[in-house]
Amino acid sequence: MNHFETVRELTALTFCVSPDQIAPETVQSEIPEWDSLGHLNLMVAIEDAFNITLEIEDMTRLTSVPAILDYLKTTCTSH
Amino acid sequence: MKSRVDQVKLALQAPARLDMIEALSPRQPDLTFPDINRLRRQLESFEEEWQPVKIAVVHTYTTELLRPYWTFEALLQGFALDLYEAPYGMTLQELRPGSGLLTHQPDVTFLLLQWEDLDPRLVQPLMALPCVEREKVAEACLEHLHRLLSEFRQALPGLLVVTLLPRFFGPELGDYDVMAPDSEANFRSVFKARLAARLRDSLPAVYFNDLDTLTEEIGRLHMFDFRLWQISRFPFSVSGAQAVTRRLFCYPVLLKQSEIKCIALDADNTIWGGIVGEDGPDGIALGPDYPGSVYIAFQRRLLEFQQRGFLLALCSKNNPQDVMEILTDHPHQVLREEHFASLHVNWQPKPDNLRNIARDLNIGLESFVFVDDSPHECLAVRRQLPQVTVVKTPEQLAYLPFCLDTVPLLEIIRLTDEDRQRTVLYAQERQRRQLAATSQTLDDYLTSLQMVMTIGLDDSRHIARIAQLTQKTNQFNLTTRRYTEDEVQQFIRRPDWLVAQFSLTDIFGDSGLVGLAFFRGLTTKIAEVDTFLMSCRVIGRQAETAFLNKLLYILEGRNIASVQATYIPTAKNAMVKDFWPQHGFVATAPDTFQIDLTRWTPLESSLIDVHVHMPGHEPF
Repeated sequence: MNHFETVRELTALTFCVSPDQIAPETVQSEIPEWDSLGHLNLMVAIEDAFNITLEIEDMTRLTSVPAILDYLKTTCTSH
Repeated sequence: MKSRVDQVKLALQAPARLDMIEALSPRQPDLTFPDINRLRRQLESFEEEWQPVKIAVVHTYTTELLRPYWTFEALLQGFALDLYEAPYGMTLQELRPGSGLLTHQPDVTFLLLQWEDLDPRLVQPLMALPCVEREKVAEACLEHLHRLLSEFRQALPGLLVVTLLPRFFGPELGDYDVMAPDSEANFRSVFKARLAARLRDSLPAVYFNDLDTLTEEIGRLHMFDFRLWQISRFPFSVSGAQAVTRRLFCYPVLLKQSEIKCIALDADNTIWGGIVGEDGPDGIALGPDYPGSVYIAFQRRLLEFQQRGFLLALCSKNNPQDVMEILTDHPHQVLREEHFASLHVNWQPKPDNLRNIARDLNIGLESFVFVDDSPHECLAVRRQLPQVTVVKTPEQLAYLPFCLDTVPLLEIIRLTDEDRQRTVLYAQERQRRQLAATSQTLDDYLTSLQMVMTIGLDDSRHIARIAQLTQKTNQFNLTTRRYTEDEVQQFIRRPDWLVAQFSLTDIFGDSGLVGLAFFRGLTTKIAEVDTFLMSCRVIGRQAETAFLNKLLYILEGRNIASVQATYIPTAKNAMVKDFWPQHGFVATAPDTFQIDLTRWTPLESSLIDVHVHMPGHEPF
């Protein structure tokens, strides 16, 4: 699975939505369940799945799929 | 040896909920958050009759991130969860009429609070407060919590569980704290003990759950995520979140699922290593060296579980003499014959033996936990006796002593003296049966028991046991009315009610508190029997006759002219259908009876010596 596919699964699982609702351009405001608290669970899921540890600043900043993918590109080697 | 990754893989392939539980055993709080969500999704796809349960969370720190963990835990235990979360920081406000909390009518309400809520002085270092001041702070905290919990108790149904968020940091004095005369750990310890005493004494069905012990279990560093706390005031890491929800979800499980009364154990490769029929008493692994030492540790742990009020039973496919030789003679065996309430050692299938044990002990199969090392035996019991909770021993032998630690039904929320004595009571009963078998007549047997009955009237000291008896007694129960500890307390306080209980001792020991009678209408000339019941433990000894006889004598002394009684039939109490007529009551309508005390004379009973004890009075 590439980064996007993993992020899509994690987002769908965390917010209990269908994976079809998640696209590489999806931002927080498009998913009602992706509120400020729910966002933190997504960050924790990303950490677990990619075996990384986020700084606090990144946790609050990565509120869209593009931002997350961008971050992963610069931080992790591809799956 | 299976890694956690393999465990999860197996769990995700599980075809049913019970298979998933087995794949995840023994539970360790280190599933990843994505895995918890995947397992949750898997559980949601199962065809299962989910039991509905309503819980509410009242909190002074953020807890909404726990929702997926709650849902997962609920599904894993077989529940469809309806979770209500109070708005952040709202406690007493949620008790106002029309509030979300009251509308929800939860089965269990969790109060997730912080120490700092209890008193503003706790925001500063505890060590900065002089001793006298600290005592005042402790008292103020207790008062605050007591008042809060009383309000909640009055307003809400169901169980109330209160927790205090443990500190993120170690003690203020660091490792030195334990050596300090005014140790912080000691302050909290004493506070918790005082809180528990208040809850036991005056707030029924309100429980304190000590999250400090959870932090001990998984480690303070492992439990919290300080980043999430900084961003949102949510304290827990993924590990902490699953540990907390798993622990707290024991309360709905204990409330809604059948109470466990007996742990039935296999013998070979469960309480000792090897097969006694093949290896002989010297060949089994049971001693100070590995692997025998693991089995000894497990046996010791089982004795600890016995302290929670559970009976132990042995269910083994073996020649009886081979097993008895170990129980009687093996120098390292910890669990001896007297520790088991029932032993069924033969070559019959285990489901049959479990049925026999259940009949022996007069308890239902749904109150059993069955432990066996054989996947084949476990499956057979799971298939034929689905109401039994089956625990297969872990693959890694070293974890054997821990295998019962994460069975939620083995937690308890109440412990009476009778619970503590249960195994001893069963051993005494076996001795009575032996005496009965050798006596010529029933009267001979009863006389040789030399029974003494002690009757207590309006005695608040045994409220827990009295309430327990009303809830658990099904067969010898004339009206089957179930009461809570709170209600029993009310009846004791009312002058128009009489709450009578009796305990019975004989040459073999004390059976404990085993019978109750509640009378109402004592301020009139006609008293009514609200409740009359007796534990099956003492059936057949004519205790009910002696008890009723004495009670009628007491009522006559209080100028009661007649007593009315009813028999309310249920599926289980047919044995007492004729109890009232057998004791001189006359039917006035179907299942309604009356006795005229002005024309009644007490029976002389030589079989039981009866004493009456009223608190504050001399026995008479």
